[in-house]
Amino acid sequence: MPNPEPLEFLLTNQNSDGGWGYHRASPSAVEPTAWALSALISSRRAPPPVEVCARARDWLLQAQLTDGSWPPFPGQPQGCWVTSIASEALHLLGGAQNAVERGLEWLLKEWPAEGNVWWRLRQTLIPSRVLRQNSSLRGWNWTPGTASWVEPTAYALLFLRSLPSEMLSPQAAKRRSLAERMLYDRMCPGGGWNNGNPLVYGVAGVPRFGPTAWALLALRDHPERAEIQMSLEWLKGAYSAIQGAASLALAHRCLAAYGHPVSPLASALGELYSHNRFFENVLTNSWIILAVNEEGNGAARSAGEAATR
Amino acid sequence: MSFAQASLMPSFTRPPSHVAIVRCDSYERDLGALLFEALRQFDLPVGGKKVLLKPNFIEPDPNCVINTHPAVVGAVREAFLRLGAQSVRVAEGPGHERDTEAIVETIRLRDFLSPLLDLFVDLNLDEVRPVNLRTRASKLKQLYLPRTVLEADYIVSLPKLKTHHWVGATLSLKNMFGIVPGCCYGWPKNVLHWVGVTPAVLDINSTVRPDFAIVDGIIGMEGNGPIQGSPKPSGVLILGDDPVAVDATCARVMGLVPERIDYLAKAGALLGHLNPGKIRQLGESVASVRTPFAVLPAFHKLVAANGK
Repeated sequence: MPNPEPLEFLLTNQNSDGGWGYHRASPSAVEPTAWALSALISSRRAPPPVEVCARARDWLLQAQLTDGSWPPFPGQPQGCWVTSIASEALHLLGGAQNAVERGLEWLLKEWPAEGNVWWRLRQTLIPSRVLRQNSSLRGWNWTPGTASWVEPTAYALLFLRSLPSEMLSPQAAKRRSLAERMLYDRMCPGGGWNNGNPLVYGVAGVPRFGPTAWALLALRDHPERAEIQMSLEWLKGAYSAIQGAASLALAHRCLAAYGHPVSPLASALGELYSHNRFFENVLTNSWIILAVNEEGNGAARSAGEAATR
Repeated sequence: MSFAQASLMPSFTRPPSHVAIVRCDSYERDLGALLFEALRQFDLPVGGKKVLLKPNFIEPDPNCVINTHPAVVGAVREAFLRLGAQSVRVAEGPGHERDTEAIVETIRLRDFLSPLLDLFVDLNLDEVRPVNLRTRASKLKQLYLPRTVLEADYIVSLPKLKTHHWVGATLSLKNMFGIVPGCCYGWPKNVLHWVGVTPAVLDINSTVRPDFAIVDGIIGMEGNGPIQGSPKPSGVLILGDDPVAVDATCARVMGLVPERIDYLAKAGALLGHLNPGKIRQLGESVASVRTPFAVLPAFHKLVAANGK
């Protein structure tokens, strides 16, 4: 692993208030705190540090808004996509069931704006000559009042996927199904995803690593589908061109989750670390831990399958 | 401080602007010396100031057709330091790509900016503060903006010369979309599209108006820009003390009519000069470097008759 190890980086850079900022020594924010907490919980290298996790949980609970959502930074008045990530982290940790349920409730009530009456009327009267997509298929937006996009939709689906079935209402199942269909609709023609515009002016969009990895992770219950296979092929083919640690970690986690052999992540990260210390980015370090953990899950799955053969 | 000094004034009360066109056909030239000489014509008040360069970095692009070329970024930094700036940092918040590190690594920014960790700021993940917008062109009223931008003394917009499939052309004003932080508004910063690109460009630039603009037109992009267009060697750097005047000059070089580019036409009312009579031209003339850019059919109405 790079030096210092991502786990060590997270443990030494938790802010005194219990949260993490996006970078070392920056003010605590919801998204990095939630990812750091998820990473620490999932880390195979050491048992989750109880005190560190408890302080992170308390920080997240204090940042939750009364409507159940989370804003990007504490004190901001409006919730957004980070609600999915914070809810999932708290669910994984446990001990915050009420907050998780309130987060879920907000997410299920939050609809992207492209499906509202005015939007549909406008689309009917003036069909878009620019974009080609089925706007009746909706997922989740980045911020209220805007459209569905691939990444926030994937974050919400991953949260729903982490919940036990008894927590999922029929409405949740319906939203999940609609959002999965939306992701398939927004796939780039050759496989993979960009932010969510697969075809603009009739020109195929170019996939990106992050959205592709998140979409594939969110859709991992359907590995047999042609869209998934095509997107995995794109990701495998493009993997060697990745030059950012965060993208590398996400692609690695994704391929490992689908059981595709990938070389150990650490070897690819060393050189990048020497160039830029990953910009001391908490998200990057958290995603590396999650990727390494997935690598371990893959190895464990392979061992289990071998044992049962 | 640049943020506090953002100036709104009707064009008829605004003094003339200055725009220089410098020929440069290759990123291999001594850009530092070229830009230093060009900038010296402006007598810029940057001595002892904290200067912030805002390039246009969109996505990983090893050939640097999409992004402001890192050689230009490095050369501009060098030139401002020679002009006496206390510090010159580079900051960007890419609109689509969350992995900013992947962009700066792919374009090898570190070869021109070292140490990268100290000199480059990812505006998407910066600390933010609420800022009331100075105009009400959109219904936004307020945006969270990065501390790095708000604390800069002098802001330089440093875009690439490109066409744009939503608004016709993306230059120094549209480039300022990149100061809106993804950590608050997502990737893309979709709230800006929902309120309308033109009103959003106006509100952002009325609130954080760049003090200076330098457009990388050595190799621009035509057609389906800002990402999927074709490289367009244009052989120019276009710079000036008024972002509206710089963008208007760029449009004329591209063979477009700036008054027909919606956000630019409206910016001409309060943010700077569109009228060539109010732009003191330095260096090359527009006519001598004009290089008509291909545009999508939706923007044929922007093209000047006979390319002039």
